[in-house]
Amino acid sequence: MIETYEIFKNNMMKLEVPVTETDFDQRGYHMEVILTVNTIREFAQTAYEHGFYLVFATGLHVLPENREGVKTSGLEVVYQFARYDRLCRIKARVSVPEDLTVPSICHIYQGANWHERETRDFYGIRFADHPNLEPLLLCEEDKDYHPLLKEEKKLKKFEAVSWPAQHPDIADIQSETLSDV
Amino acid sequence: MSESQFQEHNRFFLNMGPQHPSTHGVLLVILEMDGEYVLDPQPVLGFIHRMHEKMGESRPCQGFMPNTARMDYVCALPYNHGYVSLIEKKAGIEVPKRAEYIRVITSELNRVASHLLWLGAYLLDLGAFTPILYGFDDREHILDILEDVTGSRLTYCYYRFGGVAQDIDDKFADATRAFIKRLRERFDIYEKLVTKNIIFIKRTENIGIISRDTAIRYGITGPNLRGTGIAYDIRKNEPYSVYPEFDFDVPVGERGDCLDRYMVRVREMEQSLRIIEQALDMLPHGPVRSKVPKNIKLTPGDCNFAVEAARGELSYYLVGDGTSVPYRLKIRVPSYSNLSCLPELGEGILLPDLVSIMGSLDLVIPEIDR
Amino acid sequence: MVFAVIIIISFIFLNAVMMGYLERKIAGHVQRRPGPMEVGFHGILQLVVDGVKLVAKELLVPINVDRTLFRLAPVLSFTPVILPLLVIPFSEKLQARDLHLGLLFIVSMTSINVMALLVGGWGSNNKYSMFGAMRAVAQSISYEIPILLSMLAVVLMANTFSLKEIVGAQEKIWFIVLQPLAFIIYIISGVAETNRAPFDLPEAESELTAGFHTEYSGMGFSLFFLGEYTNMFTVAAVATVLFLGGWHGLPLPYGEYLGIVWFFLKVYFLLFFMIMIRWTYPRVRFDQLLNFAWKYLVPFSLANILITAVVVNL
Repeated sequence: MIETYEIFKNNMMKLEVPVTETDFDQRGYHMEVILTVNTIREFAQTAYEHGFYLVFATGLHVLPENREGVKTSGLEVVYQFARYDRLCRIKARVSVPEDLTVPSICHIYQGANWHERETRDFYGIRFADHPNLEPLLLCEEDKDYHPLLKEEKKLKKFEAVSWPAQHPDIADIQSETLSDV
Repeated sequence: MSESQFQEHNRFFLNMGPQHPSTHGVLLVILEMDGEYVLDPQPVLGFIHRMHEKMGESRPCQGFMPNTARMDYVCALPYNHGYVSLIEKKAGIEVPKRAEYIRVITSELNRVASHLLWLGAYLLDLGAFTPILYGFDDREHILDILEDVTGSRLTYCYYRFGGVAQDIDDKFADATRAFIKRLRERFDIYEKLVTKNIIFIKRTENIGIISRDTAIRYGITGPNLRGTGIAYDIRKNEPYSVYPEFDFDVPVGERGDCLDRYMVRVREMEQSLRIIEQALDMLPHGPVRSKVPKNIKLTPGDCNFAVEAARGELSYYLVGDGTSVPYRLKIRVPSYSNLSCLPELGEGILLPDLVSIMGSLDLVIPEIDR
Repeated sequence: MVFAVIIIISFIFLNAVMMGYLERKIAGHVQRRPGPMEVGFHGILQLVVDGVKLVAKELLVPINVDRTLFRLAPVLSFTPVILPLLVIPFSEKLQARDLHLGLLFIVSMTSINVMALLVGGWGSNNKYSMFGAMRAVAQSISYEIPILLSMLAVVLMANTFSLKEIVGAQEKIWFIVLQPLAFIIYIISGVAETNRAPFDLPEAESELTAGFHTEYSGMGFSLFFLGEYTNMFTVAAVATVLFLGGWHGLPLPYGEYLGIVWFFLKVYFLLFFMIMIRWTYPRVRFDQLLNFAWKYLVPFSLANILITAVVVNL
């Protein structure tokens, strides 16, 4: 039987991290969590304590926007967590601020070490406090070349690549968490 | 020189790879060594990086099919399976029952072939020159069976959106049944030649122990995880295709050492044979491919699909934007996370043990580098 | 004497060819394939053709090696192993030279082999070769002792170091019946001394990419292998002389000369066994190898000598 993980959801609510349940049959994951650079580490620590493992961490490049005076860089880091004992997949995403720096979760999940290096290779996102942010898949000479960044004309707005029902949530949650920062 | 200076003086760096008989693919492991002891193995990747994820974003989703086979060429059908299932889920395409059964049969045959190759290669690393030829002999039968129906021997591109490319016939079913019977008899040979061999046991017991905590921190999946004792198999935990209709066990180990991982894979082969037998018995009649529009439009939004490849959990993550070209395609390969625990596992061990551990992790470097 | 030396040297090359062919055929059949089949009838001429190929190859000397040592190592590996064959009694009248201390002579010559590995590994200026050389030295030194001790047991029984007299003492009963433990220890240590699998760590392919002979090509490589095969032959021959009754067997006409037939039968039986185990077992780990020598073989062979000494004196 597939069930969502209630205790985890409640813990997330305590941390003031917005969690929305999603349709697993449609999307392949049970919960979507929207993080900010301040809440990443706490979230990862809680996930580790609850016994989740990191499936992957990667990036996404959308059109940079100007939301209520705050410019976004257009880059997002997407994490996915899952469990060994019962089925529960969580997708977490962070909007990368303009200085392209996001805290690293290497100290909690050592597996994130390589995922973050790869994301830096492909997108140029820097992870603060990462022990060894050297190129992993690309070579040393191409350190500043980020292949998965899209050209101007191919970029699309975030809404254009998200599920339709997401839009109202995003606008409210983003404005809430941004004002907390 | 002081004591610590003297010890520093004795350390040296040894490059294992990128061309080395034991690293399965093009992998460089830089070893900081003190005599025969490895202090810090650091894998260096990227020698066979072909940027499959960028290719996924540059062409319509149908055009990415051959790429899925090139990532892990030893066990290509589960990669096919994951990708077509992902697109079918996103676009809402129905798959006929017969096609699902054929997919399961061929995927499981491919899994057996992959494990046979792994067994031979692992024992070759340990110095036994014979089992690899026995393994390849058995694997040739599988390759012949699959070649008849898919057209390739290694990089299969057999599944299509909405089903499979070609139907299987009685010749396939008979050959598969004969092969299953033969392989079951051959398992005795492997048991006597390898599993009960005292030298093999001494080389693999209590070496490279992965604990549950290590597994969570690195995201290890597949037989490496099941050797630890955690029974996590996507076919049972997050069932896809028609796996719920079959009766099979998920073998687990106890200690998490190399010997347990070996035993898990050997027993998994037997379980795969069980699945194939049941699928052949229950194979329904019907079409093998449903009608699919020529231009599949991927609705906006993201979607994730996980399958159990031979090496662990393979996840495809797709972000669609309304066209037929994916906006972002992320492929999470199992060997990537499995290899990332090597610096921790390989601290302060002997060089032959490192070779044994790397062999038991069942790595295929092209899938790590993508 | 000179005639004997010429015969022995040509015999060594012939032996290498035969053993190489045997090895590849046995390896093939163990691995369910036929082995060399193309050249000659069932591949008999394969080794000859291989020899021509190896001689014709370019003698690569990498830039940063120690030139003298690099060139010296294959010669050092091949030459001393010829000498023991001069004192082995092939049959009652066929022995190049019967030294009083024949056994000691053989042991000292085979110990020089490890020098060749060390010189080759060091001279190659390559970390992998150095590894192989270090392992070879440790392994050879450790396994010398059980060899000596098991030979000593036979010497105690036969009361002489001369090989001819040791064979003579086995007229009634072969020493393998009286000293089974010494035989087993000798065979295991002999396989280890010649760096054959499962003790082939110095040249472990999957770990060290060919160990001490990584940098050698063509004739250098083939000299190493000639040395290895001849060493194997020497070990098997000494085992036959010490334990299997040398040239004793069913009576043949011209027995003093044709004893050589029984001798070769026994030696090649032992070689067949040594080749078979190479293709059957995986490799032991290095510390397990040394543990085995020091913790098991040495105490057992010491105990064996003690018992032998006590029994002989009674």
